[in-house]
Amino acid sequence: MGFGDITYVTRDQNDQGGFVIGQAVAHMSAYLGPRLSVFGEFSLTARDTQYSSEVERLIVKYDFSDQFKLSAGRYHTPIGYWNSAFHHGAWLQTTVSRPEMIKFGSKIVPIHFVGALLEGNIPGNSLGLSYMAGIGNGRHANIARSGDAGDINGDNAWMMQLNAAPDRYFGLHAGVGFYTDEISPSDRPDIREKTVSAHVAWTKESPEIIFEYLYSNHEFVADSSISGDTNAWYVQFAYRLKGKNRNWKPYARLESTDVDDTDPLLADQNLDYDAGILGVRWDFNPYAALKGEYRNEEFNNGGRENNFRVQVSFVLAKL
Amino acid sequence: MKLTTHRSIAQYLRLVAGLCALLALSMVNAATPEAGTQSAIAIVVHKDAPVDNLSLQELRNIFMANKQFWSDRTRIILLVRAPQSDERDFVLNRIYQMDEGQFRQYWIGKMFRAEVPRGPKIVFSTDMAVDLVVAIPGSISFIRAADVTDDVKLVRVDGKLPIDEGYPLK
Repeated sequence: MGFGDITYVTRDQNDQGGFVIGQAVAHMSAYLGPRLSVFGEFSLTARDTQYSSEVERLIVKYDFSDQFKLSAGRYHTPIGYWNSAFHHGAWLQTTVSRPEMIKFGSKIVPIHFVGALLEGNIPGNSLGLSYMAGIGNGRHANIARSGDAGDINGDNAWMMQLNAAPDRYFGLHAGVGFYTDEISPSDRPDIREKTVSAHVAWTKESPEIIFEYLYSNHEFVADSSISGDTNAWYVQFAYRLKGKNRNWKPYARLESTDVDDTDPLLADQNLDYDAGILGVRWDFNPYAALKGEYRNEEFNNGGRENNFRVQVSFVLAKL
Repeated sequence: MKLTTHRSIAQYLRLVAGLCALLALSMVNAATPEAGTQSAIAIVVHKDAPVDNLSLQELRNIFMANKQFWSDRTRIILLVRAPQSDERDFVLNRIYQMDEGQFRQYWIGKMFRAEVPRGPKIVFSTDMAVDLVVAIPGSISFIRAADVTDDVKLVRVDGKLPIDEGYPLK
């Protein structure tokens, strides 16, 4: 199984754009035994002069029961909704791209996590509760990357997420999460990071509503008086049309990221962001979609930019 | 012009009469208890599966692979009819509340999120569904109530069998 996409971008503020080959993603999964399974996800991403390859996820999982599933490997950090729901499949998501706050390479959220994860359902309730708890390597000195070759400061990151999918409101997903780590950036003293996330998603497509909020606090370990917060959120609304027009799905999204000037980790990273997005998805084939998207964005309070994107995305799978 | 109008009215009357006849026929069929049972979808499992009754919500959780193990920790093997069968259409509509496109996207997403290594096993006929439920421990599938045999275990849904009044999969 795999995913791929090709996007055409045009902008009104500069000439950067044209055709962009998105990620080519290959995926494998297999049972190694009745309870043991392995999952892998590998990507090729177009760069200026070459393609970069990446082991995006590699997970070995042992299912004790529905309540206890223990795994180890490299994950997309289970913070919030999008990062756990859509991964690298542009075809899976309604829009052309991920929200800015959790884009691949984001410095706001640690997108990847290397470690061990315990997850499962919490039985005996009609709220459809489930949990995830993980411990592993924190961010690398390059804070956009996970500690793939080990934790650089010996201080593990850990996380918890509690999700609900109530029986009574089939299609509703909600959750809260917490993540903490001690980061050792290459250019400044150690920083303590605490992140809280919350999300609500209505996953039936008529309508589809996703809201995700993230609050992050950073402070110097040696001097906690120097600290700052980051607040980021997006809300996405989509509606798959009915009847013979059901292959069409218009959508809109609002996004915002606000970083305190005193945030010791992120203040100098130019991450403030606001955007309004309008688009439409056309599923012209069971395994391929064409999306057209208009974006009005403002990066780091530097004036607004308009751009337009057209993307064809596909999945290699037969079901 | 007048002739055309008369012909249109006659055609319209014939259409209404035909629809009334069809409606009457369907009402007679629906009133026959045997016909109701035959149109019900039965949930069947392997004989050794430790389950006799499932609520509709439990069934939905099993069919959506949110619940993957029986109480004796046997893995649940889901068998689903191939597209373009009435049984599949019924289950997609009533249990999954999805159309074919949403069903496909759901399972691709499920595999891509590493929640299941593979999707449901596809069966191409009622006989194949029954044969595999008999052969595979932990398996579960759905067939027409009239096709249930003694080789498989029939599961109550919300405490009811397909012959009962108020069975939810009719």
